[in-house]
Amino acid sequence: MTGHSDSSSSEKKSNEEMNDVPVFSAENMQNNMKVIYYSRTFMSIIGGVIAGILGFTGFMGFVFYFLVMTITSIGLIAKAKFSVHLYVDSWNRIILDGFMGGLMSFVLFWTFAYDIVHIF
Amino acid sequence: MAEDLVLDTAIRDWVLIPLSVVMVLIGILRYFVSKLMRSSQVPDPKIVKEGQVIVRARNLRAAANFIPPKSFLSRRVYFSNEENGLLFVPKGQTQNAQAQMFSDPNMAMDMMKKNLSMIIPQTLTFAWVNFFFSGFVAAKIPFPLTQRFRSMLQNGIDLSTVDVSYVSSRSWYFLNLFGLRGLFSLILGEENATDDTQRMMQMSGFGFDPSKSLGAEKDGLDIVQHEWALPKFEHRAEAVLKKLIR
Repeated sequence: MTGHSDSSSSEKKSNEEMNDVPVFSAENMQNNMKVIYYSRTFMSIIGGVIAGILGFTGFMGFVFYFLVMTITSIGLIAKAKFSVHLYVDSWNRIILDGFMGGLMSFVLFWTFAYDIVHIF
Repeated sequence: MAEDLVLDTAIRDWVLIPLSVVMVLIGILRYFVSKLMRSSQVPDPKIVKEGQVIVRARNLRAAANFIPPKSFLSRRVYFSNEENGLLFVPKGQTQNAQAQMFSDPNMAMDMMKKNLSMIIPQTLTFAWVNFFFSGFVAAKIPFPLTQRFRSMLQNGIDLSTVDVSYVSSRSWYFLNLFGLRGLFSLILGEENATDDTQRMMQMSGFGFDPSKSLGAEKDGLDIVQHEWALPKFEHRAEAVLKKLIR
């Protein structure tokens, strides 16, 4: 996971100019989106394991997934020092992007941990 | 009936974990094999030239506000001029590139190879799972599903009164198939051949590259309204320098 810690510390500024015309460095923005995606995937895996160990079933598990995603969003926004428009082009990107993408990984690891701890 | 079945620890040791480990290993193997097998295709010079023209036009469109109006207009005319503009492609030629791409044996072979390298490991693993791990309850999924999923998830189990949450190993295989995509993107870096949706997007964007995107670029370039941002830069430079002096 060294790639993960590296990339999270080097979220690059993609919008340097404070003009009326916003200019985006496409390469930096792509890197930022990648960082967001990695963070969400990682958190959904960890969240899945936690949900399984704690024994959440059914609806509670999905509520927990949304909770984990919200925590990830808040963490990302805090990392961007609350000036989100410097790093991505719109609020929606950092909050909603990849929300559903981590669901399958979450369910997999949730099932795995739940079975190992509670059934067997 | 919501009784709790107690399942043998041996199932966990010999079914769940080996299946996941095998799928992860096969994914890694497929990634390296596809990297090795990627044949270096000699790019067609005409297609490369058109691609570069598209890149130039795109750069012009993106940075249009940083050059004075007259030079922007002259560049735009150069690109989209009706007679000898670079982006203007007469209708007759548009079909050619596409047909040529599909009849080109190299390209077809490449696409076939990529398709096969995706499908064969999946089929083999699925057959292996069916052969060895059928006929017993493998795992319990933590959330309840309706009765209609029973036939899909419990195919090896012949009791109809068992809770739908208790699934067979085939569904564990499918769960792994979808869930490990995220894990692969973490361990293998971005470019991994295990994501079908990415693969399909690549496929669909392949055949139409030269003909349609030229027209699209031309339209995009025509739409751009030029607004020269340079005068404002002086004000901004003044503000920044003032801050520095203070």
